[in-house]
Amino acid sequence: MSIQAEATRVIELFQFPFMQRAVLGGVLTGVMGGMLGSFTILRQLSFFSDALGHSALLGISIGLLLGINPSVVLIPFAVAFALGVTYLLERTRLWTDALLNIIYSSSLAIAVIVLSFVGQYKGGINNLLFGDILAVQELDLVFSGLLLIVCIIFIGLTLRTQMLLTLNEPLAIARGVSVTSHRTAFIVLLSLVVAVSIKSIGVLLISGFVVIPACASRLLSRNFSHYVILSAGLGGISAVVGMIISALFNLPSGPSIVVTQLTIFLAAMIAPRVRG
Amino acid sequence: MKATVLSVEQLTVYRESYAAVQNVSFSLEEGTDMAIVGPNGAGKSTLVQAILGILPRAAGEVTILGQPLSRTGVLAPRLRQQVAYLPQNFLFDRRIPMTVAELVGLGWDRLGMQLPWAGHKQRRDAIQTALDRVDAGHLGHQLISGLSGGETKRVLLAYCLVFPRRLLILDEAPAGLDMRGESEFYQLLYQLKQEQGWAILQISHDLDMVRRHCDRVLCLNRALLCQGIPEATLSPDNLAAAYGSEFVRYRHVH
Repeated sequence: MSIQAEATRVIELFQFPFMQRAVLGGVLTGVMGGMLGSFTILRQLSFFSDALGHSALLGISIGLLLGINPSVVLIPFAVAFALGVTYLLERTRLWTDALLNIIYSSSLAIAVIVLSFVGQYKGGINNLLFGDILAVQELDLVFSGLLLIVCIIFIGLTLRTQMLLTLNEPLAIARGVSVTSHRTAFIVLLSLVVAVSIKSIGVLLISGFVVIPACASRLLSRNFSHYVILSAGLGGISAVVGMIISALFNLPSGPSIVVTQLTIFLAAMIAPRVRG
Repeated sequence: MKATVLSVEQLTVYRESYAAVQNVSFSLEEGTDMAIVGPNGAGKSTLVQAILGILPRAAGEVTILGQPLSRTGVLAPRLRQQVAYLPQNFLFDRRIPMTVAELVGLGWDRLGMQLPWAGHKQRRDAIQTALDRVDAGHLGHQLISGLSGGETKRVLLAYCLVFPRRLLILDEAPAGLDMRGESEFYQLLYQLKQEQGWAILQISHDLDMVRRHCDRVLCLNRALLCQGIPEATLSPDNLAAAYGSEFVRYRHVH
């Protein structure tokens, strides 16, 4: 088919409400992921965000087992899980990456076993693992939108504190910053973003949304404020471009967005290095 | 009568199961430079961190700029901003994308809830003035990852300088600098102290510097062994008590 015809087909596709919701959902997730991701990678919580994603499968399967709507179970579960893991990491003397491996391997294993008792989940395990962005409902968009506003307000109003905390904790404590409160708040926010985005992006790829645009932004930024904003921007842009590509070539949506993010990252690596 | 900037009474701090700092009491007046000396493991860093509220204290009171520090280390933000602390080994992840200007700016900000662009022009001017004063005006846009040891120390002095402070707490300030870097650092530090009227509390291993510059000295080895003016306090007996009787002092002959 000609380019003209292809373009028309894609444009027509985006007239459908389900497609518009999918793009909007993707953008909201992309921007939130990028914004929080900018701090996540600096604080070396990338692996932690991956473990959070995997644990969501456990939350969903428990919800299904108990007969409660999984989306409703997932949010408190994700927050409780994140806080519990943080507590565990601080208390034990084992290596963080090894502990996180234990946590996400066991979450995944237990979840799959629980699901085998539940029987067939209406979307199948594939949708849980890779998301189903085309099934995003208006209520999901409302939650995501509200959460994005909370993220913007939190990061915006405490930006300097976040910068100092990320840079050097003793210096922050000496300035009277409550490190534990801020750490808890950040973990809660991150787990909420993951929980809200699991339905559309899936358990396996959600950490990509948090990590990849932030890394690309790091390669392209000349100062901290630009870094955070660019990270959020790249997250949003990759969602739109990824959805267009998935519509054009009939590819799975979530993975297309992640591949777009990867491409942006690779381009950032090749681009002439920013003068420091 | 000079105002008391810092007052410490019967301070005791536990680390693991032993008392790292026992019953230490002293006070510091404005514009005074006090050094804390003692061997490694004497509890000097612990003392300073307990004063700032970074470490919890088991007993004793700390009063900063007239206000008592709470048990949990809480102090009014307005007062916190008048105290600047430079930890030993300012360690930070070199991969963090922050410019020198942004780092110095963190010294200016109130760190509460504020719009990110609040006070933008004032902050920018204060940062430039501070950087120019420490001869780092050209480093503003540079990323902190690219700074040399000496430049990092100067930038940290600019961080202290960017907002009016009344007390500076330094933990082995020139650590990591070579001899020349160290002397340049102290020269700048003491010029700024004269201009700004800072009270300084510093941990130091350099007894010659302490003799030359400091108004008062504290000898610490878990407990307070002696305090007073350097000539009297850094006597052979006191130093032997602090550092151990095998301690040998070198006299530099010029």
